[in-house]
This record gives sequence, structure tokens and C-alpha cells, in this order.
Amino acid sequence: MPFLAFLVLFLIVPAISVFSQALRGANGEFGFASMGEAFSGQNLDAFWFSITFSAGAAAVGTILGTLLAYVAASITRPRWLRNAVTAFSGVAANMGGLPLAFAFLSLLGRQGLGTKLLNGVGIDLYAGDFGLGEVTGLITVYSYFNIPLMVLVILPAIDGLKPAWREACSSLGGNSSTYWRRVGLPVLAPSILGGFILLFANSFSAYATAAQLTDNSKIVPLRIGFFLGGDVSVGEDAVGYALAAWMIVIMAVAMILYWALRRRAERWQS
Amino acid sequence: MAIVRGRVFGRVVAPLILLVAAAFFILPLFAMMRFALQNVQVIDLRWSNLFDKWSLAPLWSAFSDDQFGRALTLSLKLAFGTGLISLLLLVPTIVWVHLRLPRARSTVEFLTILPYVIPAIGMVAGIMVIKPHARWFLNSDLSLIPFYVVLALPFTFRSIDSGLKALDLRTLVEASRSLGYGWMRTIVHVIVPNLRTAILSCLFLTVAVVLGEYTIADVLLKRTFPAFMGEYRGSDPKGGYGLAILSLVVTTLIFMIIGLVSRPKSARRRRARGTT
Repeated sequence: MPFLAFLVLFLIVPAISVFSQALRGANGEFGFASMGEAFSGQNLDAFWFSITFSAGAAAVGTILGTLLAYVAASITRPRWLRNAVTAFSGVAANMGGLPLAFAFLSLLGRQGLGTKLLNGVGIDLYAGDFGLGEVTGLITVYSYFNIPLMVLVILPAIDGLKPAWREACSSLGGNSSTYWRRVGLPVLAPSILGGFILLFANSFSAYATAAQLTDNSKIVPLRIGFFLGGDVSVGEDAVGYALAAWMIVIMAVAMILYWALRRRAERWQS
Repeated sequence: MAIVRGRVFGRVVAPLILLVAAAFFILPLFAMMRFALQNVQVIDLRWSNLFDKWSLAPLWSAFSDDQFGRALTLSLKLAFGTGLISLLLLVPTIVWVHLRLPRARSTVEFLTILPYVIPAIGMVAGIMVIKPHARWFLNSDLSLIPFYVVLALPFTFRSIDSGLKALDLRTLVEASRSLGYGWMRTIVHVIVPNLRTAILSCLFLTVAVVLGEYTIADVLLKRTFPAFMGEYRGSDPKGGYGLAILSLVVTTLIFMIIGLVSRPKSARRRRARGTT
């Protein structure tokens, strides 16, 4: 099949070569030295930083996205509003790269419009440790595509909540909170968790937006780019490949979990 | 009690959430537009001069940079090549899977989401490893095409796949074959015309992917349109942001067109008749 050959040549071969370089010692022999080095010291700090802000961004995106999807699902009038929310989510979920970074630089950068507006009401955004390349800033920026992505993921599940379940719950004497605790959330749980993982993976692997926002080398994709850029001593480039290898491993685990959760979530959506 | 709470939610909380969300999604875009197109420093900005001195001049000066034309031409070539190869690769494969191996469909679908597992930055790391062995290929700017085909797979596969799902493929193929067409002519003269909208959205999606891809081009130092945009911002921020707005407008239009053409036929027909 030409399709398979194509995938192998342009996706699988590059992926395997990353691992072959990552599992190579200083003298070219097989070993886990580079993989170990990529997961210790400054590199480990980078992983912690990336995992922290990605998990934060995923949590914010999951909660606000679910809330927004619930609001969108409960809108009956005007009718176009719901379609507008889903259509816009489709566009914004795919937004990323340079334009997103530029937009937030001009809103929340040091000379940003929003920074000035907040200053006008007495809030100094940069008084604390806020920065677009720091945890709080990255969470804010990544929410721009994470929230709409969550809306797209969770909306079918929310639509799958049958009104009959709610009626059954209240006729058995339950109130609204019983319904959410015993029926609503358990049914939605696989979709919510799956969405969280998808958003995490999405935030963890983003390069273009982060590269324009900051040169913070604690962000793993930027660090990989730095090592690949070639300004490192001989032998150190293996660490870059090892970082990339770890990243692929983390992404693979995340996607397998997502795939499994999606299977489970689809049970209620027929 | 529950009814009262439901009403408060519908009347107050829900609109409030929508308003806050709208502000969050619109403000960054407005700020970028203002920065690029209004010739007033943020420091000097007041409510009174919010509408003064807007102009498209930064965009014109970006267009007149001699690198701009070259970068845009390269990106358009890449988009064309990526679209063409995606179609040549996907249409026969997916037709074949639908007809002969329906059980393999989920496996193929799984393969097409692999680019999520191996993100662009991981892929480009692999390309850097191969580079010394394949300079003859990777030195060409157009060598980005196959990698962009892979990056676009999650989108392109889904558009062709859902287009084929809506067809009665087996009947079409059997009719065509029994009237004496071979496989090639069946695909070109029977299946492709029936897939027009799916093929169109597949092509638009590849354009959107190519116009948005920065990671691989940046690391491999290829001067595509997004790479030029990032570089140009260094010398002329306003012009760089203007180009970003332009690419956003194009991408948004693409997604809107896809949304319109891929709407189910019945809905379009009903709208055409003017009834709902």
C-alpha cells in the first residue's frame, strides 16, 4: 500500500531515528546515558515546568470548556447562538502558531492594551511574577485554543444526557445536585477526562506560539529546538534527541489513554 | 426551587458566561489589529483617539519587502503540492479500505492520528537525524511537502472519509465496473465527481495547515510564509502583526467555507426552499 509506505518513510522513520540517536552514548554505542541526562538536572526542571503549565492549561480548559459547552447546549433562543458557538469553536480550536502569540503580546505584553486597561483600574499585571512565557501567561494564552477544543470534545457528550434521566432522578426524590453527582458527572466523566488528556497533550507539544512569546528554555519543545539549532558541543546533541524521545513517549501515553477513554465515552452517545 | 434556580441560570448566569467568553476571544484579536493598523502608541491611547490614525500602510510595506513575494510563493507551492499529494494518496486508499477492508478502517484512522503522537517538533528532530544522509532531498525547499502531508493527515483523512461514507460506494463502483470502466477510470470519472465537496474541503484544510505551520520550517531554516512573518516582525513589528491578521482572516474564511459546503444536503435544500 503506497499509503503505508509513505507514512513509514516520512513519519515512522524520522520517529525511529530520534530514538536511535537518543539511545546512543558519547562513543556511538547503545546506551541509556542520554535518555537519563535528558531527564535530570536542568532538563528535568524543564519537564516539570512544561508538565506543570500543560496540566494547568488543561485543567482551566477542561473546566471552562465544559461550562461553556453546557451553556451552549442549554441555549434554545436565539437559535443561531448555539451554531455560532460551535462554528467559532471549530475555528478557534485550530488557532495557534504565530498569530495567537502576536494577539496576546499586543493584549497582555508589557506595553499591551489589556495591561494598560488593567492599570487604569488599578491592577498592575506585572507586579507579581506574571509573564507571557511563565506558567500563568502560558495558561492564559493556551486557553484560547484549549477552551474551544474542549467545547468540541464535550458537546456531543452533553447532548447525550437524556432528559429522561433527569426526570427519573427527580421522580425518585433526587434534586439537582443528586442528579449531577449520581448521573450527570459519572456519565460525562470519561469525556471530561479524555478532554483533559487531549488538552494536556495539545499544550505540551505546542512550539510555534511559545517560541514567539518567550525564549524561556524551560519549555520542552523550545529546548528541543535549541538543541537542534546546533549551538551545542559535540555529543550534547544526543540530549536534544533524548528530549524529543521523551516527549514522544509522553505523547504516546497520553494519546493511548485518550483513545481508551473515548471508546468508553461513546457508550452513552448512541 | 429547582425551577427558580434554572431560571436564574438561563437569564443571568448563562448570558454572563457567554459575554465573558466573547470578551476573552475577541479582545486579543482587537488588540492585535489595533497594534498593527493604528498608528498610536498604547501609552498615548485614550478613548477619544481610539478611532484616529488607522491605516493599512504597515501591510503595504510588508508586501513590498523583497522576501515577502518569495516566501508567499514558496508557501503557495507547498500548499499546492501538499493538497495534490494528499488527494493522490488518500482517495484511492480510503476507497479501497471502504470497499475491501471495512474492518481495517479504524486501524487506518488510528494511523492518521499518529501526527498527534509525534508532534511537529518530534518529527523535525527525526528529520535532523536523517538530514546528513538525504541532503539531495532535504536541501530543496519543496522537500517539506511530504511532511506537511503527514501533518495534515488527521484533517484530510476525516474530510475524505466522511465524504465517502455519505456515498453508496459499492453500487457506484459495481455499476461503473459492469459498464466496462477500469479502476482508474472509475475513480477519476465516477468517484471523484461525487466527492467534490469532500475534495474541496480537503484542499482547503491543507492550505490552512501549510499557512499555519511554523515549527518544521523554523528549525530547518526554510523561508515559508509563517517563517518570514516571524522574522519580519523583528524589523517591523506592525507589518509582522499585519501579516498575522491577514493569515488569520484567510484561515478563518477557509474554515467558514468548509463549514458551509460540508453542511448536510438536506439542510441546504431546505434553506434554498425557504422553509425551516
